[in-house]
Amino acid sequence: MPPKSRHTQTSPPSSSTPARPAPSSSSSSKASSSSALDAQDIVLSVWNKYLEKTPQRVKLLDSFMGFLAVVGVLQFVYCCLVGNFPFNAFLSGFSATVGQFVLTASLRIQTNPENKAEFESISTERAFADFVFGSLLLHFFCVNFIN
Amino acid sequence: MRWLSSFLLLVLLGVAQALSSSGRKLLVVLEEAAEKERFGGFFGDLEARGFHLTFESPKSTSLSLLKHGERAYDHLLLLPAKSKGLGPALTANQLLEFMKKEGNILLTLSGDHATPTAVQSLLLELDIHLPSDRTSLVVDHFNYDGESAKDKHDVLLVPYPKASRPDVKNYFSGEGVIAVPRAVGQTLGNESPLLAPILRAPSTAYSYNPKDEADIVEDPFAVGEQLNLVSTLQAHNSARLTILGSAEMLQDAWFEAMASLNGKAVKTANRDFVAKVSEWAFKETGVLRVGKMVHYLNEGTGKKSNSSAALPQNNPKIYRIKNDVSFQVPISEYSHTHWTPFTPPPSDSVQLEFSMLSPFHRLPLSPLSQTANSTLYGVSFKTPDQHGIFNFRINYRRPFLTNVEVKEQVTVRHFAHDEWPRSWQISGAWVWIAGIWVTVAGWVGFVAIWLYSSPAVGAAKKTQ
Repeated sequence: MPPKSRHTQTSPPSSSTPARPAPSSSSSSKASSSSALDAQDIVLSVWNKYLEKTPQRVKLLDSFMGFLAVVGVLQFVYCCLVGNFPFNAFLSGFSATVGQFVLTASLRIQTNPENKAEFESISTERAFADFVFGSLLLHFFCVNFIN
Repeated sequence: MRWLSSFLLLVLLGVAQALSSSGRKLLVVLEEAAEKERFGGFFGDLEARGFHLTFESPKSTSLSLLKHGERAYDHLLLLPAKSKGLGPALTANQLLEFMKKEGNILLTLSGDHATPTAVQSLLLELDIHLPSDRTSLVVDHFNYDGESAKDKHDVLLVPYPKASRPDVKNYFSGEGVIAVPRAVGQTLGNESPLLAPILRAPSTAYSYNPKDEADIVEDPFAVGEQLNLVSTLQAHNSARLTILGSAEMLQDAWFEAMASLNGKAVKTANRDFVAKVSEWAFKETGVLRVGKMVHYLNEGTGKKSNSSAALPQNNPKIYRIKNDVSFQVPISEYSHTHWTPFTPPPSDSVQLEFSMLSPFHRLPLSPLSQTANSTLYGVSFKTPDQHGIFNFRINYRRPFLTNVEVKEQVTVRHFAHDEWPRSWQISGAWVWIAGIWVTVAGWVGFVAIWLYSSPAVGAAKKTQ
């Protein structure tokens, strides 16, 4: 979950600059009365804003990245608890998840409408094709490496 | 044709030499031909055992141990001489050279004559020490012969020697007492592993110089079991040097003499003991032979071999790490006239080393089967998890047995890339296999949803 929450925190400020001062001012004014309720309010509003403003494809990307993060953390925790006996298996399993996460993150950067100005030359279809090619390559290597 | 005739000659020689394992030509160096009769019984026994005796005087000009750079005789028996030196043909160097060519020497000393300098320096070089005054002999006031040495106590009566260690074969055992008249005791250095005593003096014996006028022996050369009456050296090439402290032991007079030990009448067993010592000295006993080493890949019943050849190939040049390998070697021991199956003493075993610089395995070989003249030893083991150049090596060195050192080199390679177990065969890898395939499945699902949802998003974009 951390990546998702990180994204939810980073993307709204970048998407809407006026949104930021509103929650912060409200938190400072109501800090004395009930901070817990206040924090909950902030999170809720951020979440609502995210649901409201984010395009559906970016939401899809975020949920996929969240899924990858969960799988990756599970593998890493298992490795720490049980040991890394077939080390190449651990490496390929874990790096498949991490690599997929990185590729997805770059797809998210390239296809996010907010970054349109920076990636003028790269169309969404082109970015997606790159992503599919890169992912297939990654899966091929990982399956080979685990033997 | 010449090679055929020489081959036939070799075969004939092999048949003719079936007696001692290393030849039958024996040179006896004797100063006076008249003395020959006193050793008649011993020489007769030697000839009966098949030796060709050649008698030479140390002063003879034709005497030469080596001929054309090879030894002219197989064995040498040196009897004590009155003269101080042994002449130019029998210097310490010559004698050592003779041993380097695998000649065996039976050296006799005597308290009656001064030990020649050549012998003294030869023994000194081999870390065997004789009394420095050259005329000392061993006396014992408890184990002397009451018949012949009532006053002088210089004829020792000692029992047959026991095995010096429980894991050493005893080639000199027997029943009775041995008379050792006027012996020169030797002490052996501690450093040399090649030295081994056969017969030690009793604990009450000591070295004494009869020419010494003093009543009390002060600071004797050596006492008790430090003194060896018969001692041996076996060189790295298994050439044998046997030092007999008393040449008189070989004389007919002592072969079956009547003696009295502490008032009891006994008969000396010198003939038997001397025969055993000379048999050992001239390599009729205690000689080991190692046959052809065989090693092969021991494919278990469960494992299938990749190669089409089902039969295991013998002595392959290359193995893989963690291969199951079997090793077999026949070992024979020469006993008087023929080769017999060799069995080590119960508390000893022949060991196989599988070594690269240092042994990775050192395994006791166990007897698998016996033939008429050899025991087949074998062991199975797994090659270590280390690739490199290895040796199958047997290094068996024991007192009174000829040295065995044989080795055969093999290469041990690492796993080929297709010899590792597949990932799914290792249960520990299942978690990470699952990790990969969950990622792939998630990705496929993601791609499907992405493509499916594409037009809707596009439409939404356009409408916006």
